[in-house]
Amino acid sequence: MGWAETIVDCLKQHRIRFINYVPDAIGEKILRLVRNDSAFEILPLSREEEGVGVTCGQAVGGARGMLMMPTSGLGNSLNALASLPIPYRIPFPMLIGYRGALGEFNATQVPMGQATPAMLKALNIPYFSLEREAEVRVVTEGALKLTYSLESPVAILVSTQLVGWKE
Amino acid sequence: MIDQFEATRYVAGRLSDELVVASLGNAKYDLFRARDRALNFYMWNSMGMACSMALGLAMARPERRVIVLDGDGSLLMNLGSLATEATRAPANLIHIVWDNRQYQLTGGQPTHTSFRTDLARIAEGAGYERADRVETLEAFNRSFDRAMNGPGPWFILALVNTSTSTARPPKSPTFIKHRFMTELGVEH
Repeated sequence: MGWAETIVDCLKQHRIRFINYVPDAIGEKILRLVRNDSAFEILPLSREEEGVGVTCGQAVGGARGMLMMPTSGLGNSLNALASLPIPYRIPFPMLIGYRGALGEFNATQVPMGQATPAMLKALNIPYFSLEREAEVRVVTEGALKLTYSLESPVAILVSTQLVGWKE
Repeated sequence: MIDQFEATRYVAGRLSDELVVASLGNAKYDLFRARDRALNFYMWNSMGMACSMALGLAMARPERRVIVLDGDGSLLMNLGSLATEATRAPANLIHIVWDNRQYQLTGGQPTHTSFRTDLARIAEGAGYERADRVETLEAFNRSFDRAMNGPGPWFILALVNTSTSTARPPKSPTFIKHRFMTELGVEH
């Protein structure tokens, strides 16, 4: 099982049904696996911030969803995250394709990439990195378990150590 | 011109088990004043997110009608949501926008709808097949009744006067959420 298959398997075990997303090359590896799987419904968004509202609506309605997005999307989502799932205490899994770090070719991705941990810390959002294949299951499962027990956002960063970098 | 509170009262009077999301500001003040109920979800911030939240609810609960009471300023902040709503097109979604053409709570600064911008035409352009623009309470009531009696998604742009509600809904976000989810029978 590759890292993407392992993540999808963890999503299923945690009964996550909706994948709300803005695409990136890393997320596409997940989307390829869930597009034709009846356990999931995918929702393309025009901007990541929308996904904060949508995922919260799904949770409050009694269904589990996830926001999948590139690093840049976290910046687009900050006030929505700070004012909706955090104060209303809504479980909120985020899967972030991490750009702007190790091996980045595009300088314009780097400031947001480097600020990502600080932004998550500033909002008190626990985050975990997927860096090694052997740890994908324990990190993904643990992060999902945490978001539902904490009833607040938790981020999983899919790093270039695991998935390689864009040329 | 429509009195926003009167139109909100019309909506509230027709509710049974519908899920209602009210955007920050006067949309939620008027809803609370017209009829507080457990299945009202009040947004205290997150400008623009009310309609996205309603889309998520509509996806999670396809058997329930979901109504969002939005404002022109809020929707202008999240215009892309119209494209997402029209693409996913949940039959149980009714998106109402109270358009008073200003940011009333911050001092009445004009929004773009006070000039050339027409949110109903934008909704049509985004892919909404049913987008009404109403300027009288009678026309609003007719449009809302149609939306409540047929498959959607529906978009209703209501041109309203400024609102004067001073009532304030519960302020605790977790109270609003727990009350809503408990009434809906969601385990949490």
